[in-house]
Amino acid sequence: MKVLVLNCGSSSVKFQVIETSLEMIEADTDHALARGGVEKIGLSDSRLTLEVDGRKPYQEISEILEHRAAVERILKVLVHPEHGVLHDISDIEAVGHRMVHGGEKFASSELITPEVEAGIEECVVLAPLHNPHNLRGLRAARGLLPNVPHVAVFDTAYHQSMPAKAYIYALPYDLYLRHGIRRYGFHGTSHRYVAIRTARRLGRRLEEMKIVTCHLGNGCSMAAVDRGRSVDTTMGFTPLEGLVMGTRCGDLDPAILPWTMAMEELTLAQLNAMLNKHSGLHGISGVSSDMREIEAACQQGNRRAQLAFEVFCYRITKYIGAYAAAMGGVDAITFTGGIGENSVKVRASVTAPLAFLGVHLDQERNSNAPKGKEVIVSTDDSRVVVAVIPTNEERVIARDTVRVLGGVMPSFAAPETAAPR
Amino acid sequence: MSDQELHRIAVIGGGMMGRSIATRVAQAGLNVVVREVNEERAAQVKAILEESLDRGIQRWSLTASEKKAILSRIEFTAELDRIRDCQLIIETIQEDFAAKKQLISELDDLLPSHIPILVNTSTLSITELAQGLDDPRRVLGIHFLYPVTTAPVAEIVRGQVTSDDAFTTARDFVRVLGKVPIEVFESPGFVTTRVVLPLINEAIHVVMEGVASAAEVDLAIKLGYEFRTGPLEWADRVGLHKILTWMEYLFHETGESKFRPCPLLRKLVRAGHTGARVGRGFFTYDENRTRLDRLPDDTPKLS
Repeated sequence: MKVLVLNCGSSSVKFQVIETSLEMIEADTDHALARGGVEKIGLSDSRLTLEVDGRKPYQEISEILEHRAAVERILKVLVHPEHGVLHDISDIEAVGHRMVHGGEKFASSELITPEVEAGIEECVVLAPLHNPHNLRGLRAARGLLPNVPHVAVFDTAYHQSMPAKAYIYALPYDLYLRHGIRRYGFHGTSHRYVAIRTARRLGRRLEEMKIVTCHLGNGCSMAAVDRGRSVDTTMGFTPLEGLVMGTRCGDLDPAILPWTMAMEELTLAQLNAMLNKHSGLHGISGVSSDMREIEAACQQGNRRAQLAFEVFCYRITKYIGAYAAAMGGVDAITFTGGIGENSVKVRASVTAPLAFLGVHLDQERNSNAPKGKEVIVSTDDSRVVVAVIPTNEERVIARDTVRVLGGVMPSFAAPETAAPR
Repeated sequence: MSDQELHRIAVIGGGMMGRSIATRVAQAGLNVVVREVNEERAAQVKAILEESLDRGIQRWSLTASEKKAILSRIEFTAELDRIRDCQLIIETIQEDFAAKKQLISELDDLLPSHIPILVNTSTLSITELAQGLDDPRRVLGIHFLYPVTTAPVAEIVRGQVTSDDAFTTARDFVRVLGKVPIEVFESPGFVTTRVVLPLINEAIHVVMEGVASAAEVDLAIKLGYEFRTGPLEWADRVGLHKILTWMEYLFHETGESKFRPCPLLRKLVRAGHTGARVGRGFFTYDENRTRLDRLPDDTPKLS
């Protein structure tokens, strides 16, 4: 069947059309027929792009004022006799939607019903920057494709298996009860996918492995995947906690916040922007938020770029140690995301101090790892395998859509370890 | 009218208020046309706006790419014709009745009658400004508070004949800017100006009578009532000449002695000590308008 995957942001909609079925998933032959997106929604020069393997990328610029119009344009180009990949809109048999926040409500991917939609609405307060746009896209798509099932796949759902000791903050418990302040974690679809792929690549059963997954992209997070279940992750109540990111600070002493607000006379908005947009690699280096530019500046001897690189890698190394301890061991470390898949230096620097854990990188394999391929970059005798696995969140969303419709979607809830309410 | 239909906004006049409004509108993702009297002035306004965005980057309220996005959404021009396809007009020229009246009448001729014209004023009468137009129902007042980019509220002023449609569009627009709209029925000084002016005026009287120094009056009110700035520094930052103009207007309109400007205010304005912009008012400021003479007790504290 053909599944349309949609990922709606504030002013963009990304999409893929994926040919898939339960049999194809099993045989690993599910694949994208087309991918693309609409950018700059709300402006007079919105841009729609469409990429189909073996064809020249197609692009059109026009006025697209809101999400419904964007989805409408996407459907139109998909059935275009020359540029499209579908004969008719009715070829689309289901739609999979990326949802950022599912709170404690959703521990799995879900068929969208009025109840599920109301549940997503309830989570808006937890992700005011993301969920409203996700919802807007969902409603637009359902209006235009009313006769096919729509499925929601949540960024947070996979981490719902964490035990309470990993997700409860040592704050007054009332904050958890009143506002749901706890660790949720994000990038769940990516962590789950690369963990599964790692086991498969090694020809081992996921249920027997302890894996640390490192999703290092624009946002960065890690997860401790113990026998297939996420038992801890670095992002927390919001995607700000944990690792150093392009412009986000990750972990810090919370007392810095009121202190800085007072001393610099900052407003809440400025403080928020400082932590989310002016920190991370960009904040330390003053050079760039892009790891490629940081590495280039390091080459030229820029000390602050070098420092940014070191802080970035050191924190990942620390978390690998922490997660090995949390799981009582580690069998594999998996790198994914733009930086994880492409930065030879980051992988080398992160793993260098970990020989004591049995991690031995094969420098040659690491340096020559082909782009876009699943590869092992540790030595043959390394006790811990180091893998590079390109992530593919759209593929997971399409797969979950098929699984939900086929009634074989697992839940990630772990009620036996839930915190008391 | 829904927010989706608003995507091109005109700001007439590129003064401090006009630039701030244009910035906020562009930040909200809408396109803006800033119209000035000539091309030279338009280019100058662009340069000043860029400088203030750079200051925002230094203060972490903006990123370099957000600056780029903001600038890409603002067009600076001297041609009134460029505003023809805008869905909403905000005029922010000087607070002068005749000049505003003249401009509004030109706009009334130029634009289709469903396009609302928002007059930026803290004191002038909307009803009087709209009187005699082909369509006076489209005119309403909008009062942004200083600083426009961060002040979370704006007053929307209904004149005697302002239509519900125009009001609704203006209210939705204020929401798009991320601000809370306050509906106000026309009355001198609306709500915020009318309430704050006697406070400032009284603070000036206290200083003039020698009850306490300006710095200590300001600090007492700031700390005592949890204001972000004291009333005298706030007046310095707005401009003492503006405060005087507003007070004279309110005094004239209402005849109430509570609005009679304090002689010390008049004296400072006559001396040219009009506030932060010129470096001197009740207090002194450097070229970045950072206050120089803060008391030792007037420093950030954690508790």
